[in-house]
Amino acid sequence: MKPLDPRLIRRSGAARGFLVAGGAVALVQAAAVIGFAYGLARLVTDLVAGVPLAELGWAMLLLVGCVLVRALAAWVWEWSGAAGAVRVKTELRRAVLESVDRGAGAPGGTGRLATLLGPGLDALDDYFGRYLPQLVLTVVAMPILLVAVWLADPLSGLILVIVLPLLPIFMALIGLATKQVQQRQWEGLQQLSTAFLEIVGGLSTLVVFNRAERQLGRIRRATDAYRGKTMRVLRVTFLSGFVLEFGASLSIALVAVSIGLRLVSGEMGLLAGLFVLVLAPEVFLPLRNVGAAFHASTEGLEASGEALDRIEAGERVDASATRAATTPPSARSGAAAALRLERFAALRDGRAVAAPVDLELAPGEVVALVGPSGAGKSSLIAALLGFAEADGEAWVDGVTAGPAARPRVAWASQQPLLRAGTVASNVRLGSEHAPEALLEEALAELAVGLEAGHPVGPEGAGLSGGQQQRVAVARAWHRARAEGLRLLVLDEPSSALDAGHEARLAAAVRRLADGGTAVLVASHRPALVAAADRTVELREAVRVAK
Amino acid sequence: MSRSDPATRRVLREAMPPLRRLMPAVLAGIASGGSAVALLAASAWLITRAAEQPPILFLSLGIVGVRAFALSRAVFRYLERLAGHDAAFRQLAAVRAGVYERMLPVAPDGVPATRGGELLARFVGDVDELQNLALRVVQPVVSALVVLVAAVTGIAFLAPGAAAGLAVVLVAGIGLALFAQHRAGARADRELAPLRGRLQQAVVEHLRTRELLVAYGAAAADLDRIDGLARRLGRVSRARAVAAGAVAAAVAAMGGIGAAVALWLAAPVLSNGGIDGPTLAILALVPLAVAEVAAAIPPAAAAWRVARSAAERVARAVPAEVPPELPVPALAPRALPAGGTAPRLELHGVHADWPGSAELERPSALRPVDLVLDPGERVLVRGPSGSGKTTLAHVLVRFLEYGGSYRIDGIEARELDPHRLRDRIGLVEQRPWLFDESIRQNLIFARDTASDAELEAVVERVGLGDWMRERGGLDAPVGERGALVSGGQAHRIALARAMLADFAVLVLDEPTASVDRARADALLAELLDAASGRSVVLISHTPVAPGLVDRELVLD
Repeated sequence: MKPLDPRLIRRSGAARGFLVAGGAVALVQAAAVIGFAYGLARLVTDLVAGVPLAELGWAMLLLVGCVLVRALAAWVWEWSGAAGAVRVKTELRRAVLESVDRGAGAPGGTGRLATLLGPGLDALDDYFGRYLPQLVLTVVAMPILLVAVWLADPLSGLILVIVLPLLPIFMALIGLATKQVQQRQWEGLQQLSTAFLEIVGGLSTLVVFNRAERQLGRIRRATDAYRGKTMRVLRVTFLSGFVLEFGASLSIALVAVSIGLRLVSGEMGLLAGLFVLVLAPEVFLPLRNVGAAFHASTEGLEASGEALDRIEAGERVDASATRAATTPPSARSGAAAALRLERFAALRDGRAVAAPVDLELAPGEVVALVGPSGAGKSSLIAALLGFAEADGEAWVDGVTAGPAARPRVAWASQQPLLRAGTVASNVRLGSEHAPEALLEEALAELAVGLEAGHPVGPEGAGLSGGQQQRVAVARAWHRARAEGLRLLVLDEPSSALDAGHEARLAAAVRRLADGGTAVLVASHRPALVAAADRTVELREAVRVAK
Repeated sequence: MSRSDPATRRVLREAMPPLRRLMPAVLAGIASGGSAVALLAASAWLITRAAEQPPILFLSLGIVGVRAFALSRAVFRYLERLAGHDAAFRQLAAVRAGVYERMLPVAPDGVPATRGGELLARFVGDVDELQNLALRVVQPVVSALVVLVAAVTGIAFLAPGAAAGLAVVLVAGIGLALFAQHRAGARADRELAPLRGRLQQAVVEHLRTRELLVAYGAAAADLDRIDGLARRLGRVSRARAVAAGAVAAAVAAMGGIGAAVALWLAAPVLSNGGIDGPTLAILALVPLAVAEVAAAIPPAAAAWRVARSAAERVARAVPAEVPPELPVPALAPRALPAGGTAPRLELHGVHADWPGSAELERPSALRPVDLVLDPGERVLVRGPSGSGKTTLAHVLVRFLEYGGSYRIDGIEARELDPHRLRDRIGLVEQRPWLFDESIRQNLIFARDTASDAELEAVVERVGLGDWMRERGGLDAPVGERGALVSGGQAHRIALARAMLADFAVLVLDEPTASVDRARADALLAELLDAASGRSVVLISHTPVAPGLVDRELVLD
């Protein structure tokens, strides 16, 4: 695992800003630490030499001033870490969502993506708040402090220069030597760690079978086994912490003893000796903190790495889409028709979902798209809108089907896809500029039966299935009218409606068509199909045997 | 520090390891912190004394001390971490078992967490969080306080004034840090968490409706809305960082200010001969090490906050007393007449409620129903969601208490031991729980004497024989939360389990809920066929094909 993802630096302005600001703070902090060590050493040396405290006011001021600067630096780190994390998260979140919207899809499902964008990216709080500051301090401040020690006493500097690189090397060696042991232990640990959750989650099942009381022993055994395995892992994991602590305190001891011995023989002065003694632990501090915050770093890095992967995958999709868009358009454009399909078929995994369809919809026509469940009605509609790959050609209102045709289609999908808010906020989605009157008209036409201000919960909560469906269809109707579109596509719009509402829907569709809009209705409900002018049947794709 | 209610205090008390188990970690912590202080004191003394150029023999004690403390600091720190984690994990077993034991009288319907999902994960997380009470709160605070008191006392022997000054600085620094931390924590609870939730909800909604948003040209506007929420979150977390920064600043300043104060107070003592030079150096440097020890206290306070709210949630999640909506086992239960045939169930005016419904003033979850189930009969209980179908199912297996009369072969169910009742009447839940183990483990607990042949036979009978063989037999895993099986297969496994237990009466709660309509009737026919010879109460929100059941009971 790299300590810092170069892609993050390249892509995120906020991350770059944080590092630059952090570098400056680290410089100031290093200066304050040196000033503090000098002030303290000077005070002790001079007081021991008999200088009265009154004459050492400047050293006391330097000391306290440097302490305050250091405290301020700690404050700035905290603040800029929080601010940086929020800004980077906002940037990454937006970029990932945009790439998903452009068609990169959500591999692993939207649940996983939502987890990545929520708790996943939140791990960056610790990454920016705890890990990166120490990393910057290690890179910027540690060398400066080392140079200060070296200038004051080259031998102590040499001791530190020898010990410092040894620590990461020892830690890496320990990691390497124990990797296999660790791996073996972690396997099986996962199952033990979820044992309690499994029992609590399955409690009602266990009660049904009268097995609940017996689980007490199992809980104790599993937790004990978990402890045993975890402790074996920790004994090794804590070793690297031990190496850091041990290296740090050992170097202080080495430096202190060597300085003491040289002071006795008069080879060096007390001032330099105390100065180095105060500074030596400070040299190790950022490195120790980096080690302590290492876990915080990996989680945040993994999350940002996955986010960046998805952004880059989205860019590859964009690039191929751009290539596709620059291929010359076909000579015919089907300009007069509201919708025209020529041997058009949706593809799934590169294979046609259904047999290719030829179809032309004139304005004012209502056409029913029928076929058995699973025949690919929804896939065909998805392909029209560019949400699925397609074979053949299609034009919506003279525009090639796909992403470019979206502004020319009003569409109600099979799932109502309602959003939290009100009935009005759902129906006016994307057409907020349209007059209020049109909203009321939409609600009346589709017999929604709810006030415009009626609240809608997440995923349509609080509305019945039928109400949700009517709001969704009213939304498509509203869009068609508000934007003056020539094509309305409805996907199973009456599956949750009773006969009365279905008849109202059929009538509303007819009135809209009479106004010059073509309507394509995918449905398996006889009443709705009968109300259409024509019927197009989708057949199963002919599989050519190899 | 706290105004916790008795239930929370009890949970917290149970989370504390016994003293003898906590002791090793505390002692190692004291030794490690003490070594750090002693290392700096010995180094300061050594250097300053050496500058006076005494015979080298006078220094040897200091040299040995420096080396020994350097070693002991790291070693004891390692031991502290090991001992602390070991004690915490040992207590975890007791905490889990204790919480589970208290769940049993009200399980499953008195503990909402058992219904799965977010609530379950949170509850289990909260229980496990309790192990941090000793590890991250009590043990570090006790160790740090002992070292601090010892260090200040030690300094008091050298220069009482400097010791008092250092004590004041430590108290002020820790106090300031704790106060700032409290502010930051309260702010996070009050504003940050709800905003985070809203942002996450907006992201989930965007993802769920992204095709709609894209098709309606509303995606960019929705992203702007999300960014707006993120900016508000940013403002709040920066405001919180102001307080959190004050914690960091106070901790960073404590050592230096302590050193300055100690020097300022000790300088006059030095000039009138009260102390010597090396002692002055000790007084100047020890505050730095002491401050590092004190720095452990603010994080411990933050951990206390987390552990306490976890304890509060655990205490709330498990009711201390059995609520009136849940059955209390009869003191002198009557026995059911033995016999292979299914019992006759008679329900007259049975109604029931879920725990906590009285406070919500909701109408009764199950309004009075009458139902008679003769041996071998199949009855469909139908009705829209919210009509009390699942409530009825839970009454039948005595998960819930009931009003009215529910007799089994003429005996009132209240007078029976619920366990004996459940030997005869079984439930296959709407979302059956599969354990993250093999198919065998998911079946065997229904009858632990069953042979492999019997297990395979029952799997065959529910129509999963081929599927099981494809996956390598009884040892095939079903995955976490049954991730490797479909909803329909999960129901079949659950049914196989119920048949293995040989319930005479089976209650099937929406067995086809996760299967599409076209295949639902076929699955139902197969399930009922597999359950032949038993009485069946089938619960469904949709009608089923004619001929599958003998009668219908419609709830509304």
